[in-house]
Amino acid sequence: MSMLEIWLGILQGFRVTALVTLYGLVFAIPFGLIFGVAQYLTTGPARFVVTSVIEFWRSSAVIILLFVFYYALPLAGLALSAMTVSAMVLGLNIGGYASQAVRAGLQALDRGQKEAGHALGLSRATILLRIELPQALVAMSPTFINQLIQLVKATSLVSLVTLTDMTFRAKEISQIEYDPVPIYSSLLLAYFIVCYPVALFGRWVERRINPAREARRAV
Amino acid sequence: MQFDVAFALSTVPTILGAIGMTLLVAAVSCVGASAIGFGLELIRRSGGLGGLFVRFLIDFIRATPVLVWLYCLYFILPFYGIRLGALATGMIGLSLYYSGYLAEVFKAGIDAIPNGQAEAARALGIGRMDITIFVIAPQMLRNIAAPMGNYFVSILKATPYLAVLAVPEMLGRAFDIASETYRYAEPLTVAGLIFLGLALLISHAIKRLEIRLLGPTAR
Amino acid sequence: MTQTDDKPAVQITSLNKWYGAFHVLKEVNLTIPSGSRFVICGPSGSGKSTLIRCLNGLEAYQQGTVTLGTIRLGDNARETALARRQTGMVFQSFNLFPHLTVLSNCTLALRRVPSMPRKEAESLARHFLEKVRIPEQADKYPAQLSGGQQQRVAIARALCMNPRLMLFDEPTSALDPEMVKEVLDVMTGLAHDGMTMICVTHEMGFAREVADQVVFMDQGSIVEQASPSAFFATPNHPRARSFLNTLLH
Repeated sequence: MSMLEIWLGILQGFRVTALVTLYGLVFAIPFGLIFGVAQYLTTGPARFVVTSVIEFWRSSAVIILLFVFYYALPLAGLALSAMTVSAMVLGLNIGGYASQAVRAGLQALDRGQKEAGHALGLSRATILLRIELPQALVAMSPTFINQLIQLVKATSLVSLVTLTDMTFRAKEISQIEYDPVPIYSSLLLAYFIVCYPVALFGRWVERRINPAREARRAV
Repeated sequence: MQFDVAFALSTVPTILGAIGMTLLVAAVSCVGASAIGFGLELIRRSGGLGGLFVRFLIDFIRATPVLVWLYCLYFILPFYGIRLGALATGMIGLSLYYSGYLAEVFKAGIDAIPNGQAEAARALGIGRMDITIFVIAPQMLRNIAAPMGNYFVSILKATPYLAVLAVPEMLGRAFDIASETYRYAEPLTVAGLIFLGLALLISHAIKRLEIRLLGPTAR
Repeated sequence: MTQTDDKPAVQITSLNKWYGAFHVLKEVNLTIPSGSRFVICGPSGSGKSTLIRCLNGLEAYQQGTVTLGTIRLGDNARETALARRQTGMVFQSFNLFPHLTVLSNCTLALRRVPSMPRKEAESLARHFLEKVRIPEQADKYPAQLSGGQQQRVAIARALCMNPRLMLFDEPTSALDPEMVKEVLDVMTGLAHDGMTMICVTHEMGFAREVADQVVFMDQGSIVEQASPSAFFATPNHPRARSFLNTLLH
């Protein structure tokens, strides 16, 4: 089998890899924002509930979560497609990590920002949406970009629940023809080609938002 | 079909019986990843061609999925006549993969140590190797206890990936039960819950240990 | 000691150093006899710290030679390492190892470089801690000590290696005023014991009392070298004069 055929075969799986990533973001972004902010704002029992939900998604082994939801949801009468289950599990797992970045970004802000908002007579919601969140999200954007890479890489798991992503295609091809070296090294390279530009973009963003830190590193 | 709680409970002893394998894989991989990661970071700092190569290797690892690395090692090594078995291959895979992440952590930990520390040691005539072991490494570890602990938990949560190589750890055992009984939801849920508990327990223990380690000498 | 008294402790000839295009040290020549005390002063950026850091290999230089006793730095890796070991250094920022106790700070190099047994190393370290008058702090960590105490530990740590030459790089500049004296007292004591010392410092009282020679540097060159009495009474160079004026006011 020629290199070209291998690459064309893997490329056929790119659509699913990209779709799971995109649908995953549909779950990850709202979850990360809502639960991150909720953890920041709540106290006492409410905070415990919020933290428990986050910890469930974040601290579970994502490969097991995927299997559990894939096999157990039908028993609860929820017949979701493999694509939906995968996007939900991978998305909420990354969303759990993202929520921690959101909360940490909010907590790291200078208290003076909130106090200045109060002094100007702004409502709590306005302070959050117009003053705190914009600064926290910009400050944490390199972390979010990293988490996007983690999501793309985690999509390789969907090959285990019958979705024909790049990893699944590579396994299929290698079953047709036993030639693991070019097939699997091409697969590694394919993920690298997808993820590395994102990583470079993340570094560029980090330099943009944190010139002082970069200057320190250059010394 | 419904979720059968009694059946789920009956699978607990079998799955829990594999916890030793899970912990063994996790412990060996944590040690392996730390050792390789520290070595990589030292090579990267020494610059030159080796440093450049390591820099690329770390970027490459971080832009590719761990599952694909495991497939690569599992299928490619025997092709070249290297037969290590699934368990060893899996532990080598996890060690290599997470060494890329730990190298970054070590980098941050070393960068945070003031230059004067190595200078003072050099002025005392202490050799390079001894400076690394007795002056740099202990201070680095204190700087990075928290992120290092997080990656140890990540490694623990990555051990079920070895189930795809048929290593009999907890997820593998759960699948064994599933394929014998044709009931997937229960054993997988049990495995998931045990992993969640284990991950929470260990991250809690690491936090406690950090506090104790950082107690008396914290700056 | 095997020290050869006819050889100067330090001989610097035609030393030149550049940071990129910036010429930090320009044709520096200096001879420091064994047993003498030199104070190097000058405005910030004059190259005095860079010069002293060249003497034990913390800074590389592009031209010229530095000879410590009989060993020319850079000729032979083993001899250079030996010469460095016989040169103690005290830094402005102390640079104690924060993860080690005071005693371990002093014994680390003894245990690793000549591989001295623990007991012997510790008793030697305690001896020098007594000499700098803080034997009771041996089991504390650096962060639990005041700045002056930390700097005295740093001096004891350097003395443990039995140096022939002690370099001080602005040892009191990072200290609160009330702690300067305790460090200077220890340094004065060392001088009275006959230690060869090179001190970069702005403590002119110390220079007047202890130094054999005062070296004034400006813009990378030595512009004046004289005995303290001559230097303070009638500085020749106008820049030395204005420097002394700013220090006195």
